[in-house]
Amino acid sequence: MDVIPPQVERARRTLWAGLLVFRWVSFAWFAANAILSELTFRYGPLPWIALALTGAWTLWLSVPPENQERPETPWIDLLIAVGLIVISGLVVPPGEVIGETPFFAVSYPVCAALLWGAARGFRGGIAAGTVLSVALVFSRPVNGIPLRDLSHGQVFGLVNGVVYFLAAGAATGVFSLLFARWSEQFRELAASAFHASERAARLAGRESMGRAIHDSVLQSLALVHKRARELAKGPMVPSDQVLELATMARDQEHALRALIMREPEEPPVGAASLRDRIEAMVGSVQEMPVTLSAVGPVWLSAAHVETIAAAVEQALDNVVRHSQATQAVVFADVEDNWVIVSVRDNGRGFIYDERDLREAGKAGLLKSMKGRVEDLGGRMRVKTAPGVGTEVEFRVPYDRAEASFGGGTGG
Amino acid sequence: MVEPIEGPDRDTEQQPDAERIRVMVVDDHPVWRDGLKADLERMGAAIVVSEAADGGEAIDRARDAMPEVILMDLRLPIVDGVEATRRIVEESPHVQVLVVSASGEEADVLEAVKAGAAGYLLKSATAEEITDAVRRIHAGEPVFTPSLAGLVLAEFRRVAGKEPTEPVLTARENEILKLVAKGYSYREIAGKLFISVKTVQNHVQNILTKLQLRRRYELMRYAIHKGLDRAPEPEP
Repeated sequence: MDVIPPQVERARRTLWAGLLVFRWVSFAWFAANAILSELTFRYGPLPWIALALTGAWTLWLSVPPENQERPETPWIDLLIAVGLIVISGLVVPPGEVIGETPFFAVSYPVCAALLWGAARGFRGGIAAGTVLSVALVFSRPVNGIPLRDLSHGQVFGLVNGVVYFLAAGAATGVFSLLFARWSEQFRELAASAFHASERAARLAGRESMGRAIHDSVLQSLALVHKRARELAKGPMVPSDQVLELATMARDQEHALRALIMREPEEPPVGAASLRDRIEAMVGSVQEMPVTLSAVGPVWLSAAHVETIAAAVEQALDNVVRHSQATQAVVFADVEDNWVIVSVRDNGRGFIYDERDLREAGKAGLLKSMKGRVEDLGGRMRVKTAPGVGTEVEFRVPYDRAEASFGGGTGG
Repeated sequence: MVEPIEGPDRDTEQQPDAERIRVMVVDDHPVWRDGLKADLERMGAAIVVSEAADGGEAIDRARDAMPEVILMDLRLPIVDGVEATRRIVEESPHVQVLVVSASGEEADVLEAVKAGAAGYLLKSATAEEITDAVRRIHAGEPVFTPSLAGLVLAEFRRVAGKEPTEPVLTARENEILKLVAKGYSYREIAGKLFISVKTVQNHVQNILTKLQLRRRYELMRYAIHKGLDRAPEPEP
């Protein structure tokens, strides 16, 4: 589907607006000429009807101006123009020739040639100009002057008119031809610019990815390969060494996936991503699937990231040991100037009472987690009940966390 | 056309073929396709009516086989899963696409959801979980993982407030999405907020619809930016 670039569209609109202005000026001149000229009075209602009809047509074309571009418009306009030319032959006193007395419709018929050029291109303009020229030539016999009796001056005037009509049609025709070519060039340019930038981005992405893969993933894979071969040589393979290999492979799988899947993010200076830190941590929990859901990378100072991650690690540790859960979700978000991190499990839950916990000797862990977030000016909340799982939520003020990696002011 | 199924397990509840959910499996690994097909048909709720190994094949075969639910992998040769999802949902809006992909592909899953997928499940899900998800998605219930909910939240925050006409989340939708991201099930959320499970589902469905609307806005903004928004004059 072809589209017109806005720049070309603006130019095209200007042309159509110009045509309308020309049409109104022509009509004003036409009307003034008809009213002031004594000729008009001698020929009954015909000139007046023609004038009124032309006025109505001009008005219809202007309100709204889009009417100019309707498919039927050029035909009606051409019909009116031909009519005006023929009438201008009728309203001249018999024996007199246009050129010596003012031409009745003045420049109004030219509007049809201009409109055809603008609407139908160069050929349309020339075709309309030709039709108008023929009408002009035939307006002479209508006026009672046989064509062969025309003087040199009269023929010259006629040729002048013909050239006038053809030139008008051709001029706007050339413009619309230019517009079409111009749109085409714009489209090609836009498309090639788009492809070039896309290609450049892809190449750059590939290059940096290639470097990162080479630096970390390939090296580790080579190591896994080497170690596996060494293990295969021995008669008995110790399970911890196989596990070590598995861990190595898994870490690289995560690293590779992060490289390929995630769009690179530009961290603020001195900031670390809490999401990335926790992601690495949840991957190492073997006992149950732990999902991380984060709303963005959550940029914090490295110290904040470490403290919060340590609290999360303790919470997860607690889930693994006591909750009997089959899965856990860590959620991280920044909203309304709070960093919110929650650890939620689907385990058995418990009755949260700090004094009971203290007496049961289980308060140490909670106290430690609480202490960490309170050091950051935050607080900890535990939502739990028997049978509904547990949600531990940490809230830490974000403005402080942000200020400590020097977001800018104050130093 | 329904093919006879060989050797159904005696102990699982079998439904007549006509009542089973018509499923299509799209994945480039035949082993994975076979496994998924066996799992689904063993559980008795679904019947695999077609398979495809790439996105283009998926678009073609979805037309002929008329599945109700499509299990779609994202990493596909030739036409990827996001594009295939977009084209299939465009052609037949009643088809539900459930993305089944490896972990860590959430950014692509988000694109697939924006393109019309109604749910997302990890490849590590058990046969029960997959069957359950197929049932739920067939019943018109979006299937989300917590991490996808986090990405959707991030997506709505990304340009929030910049465009006054762009769909944004209501406070309630935001609250529900956050609970999904925290790992709560729809039933638990319904209990917490004192609303029905159906209402929670409706909210999640609205969130999905808004997400898909945003994609259209993005395309429109791109088109306006590039000046591609003007239709040509009709040829006379």
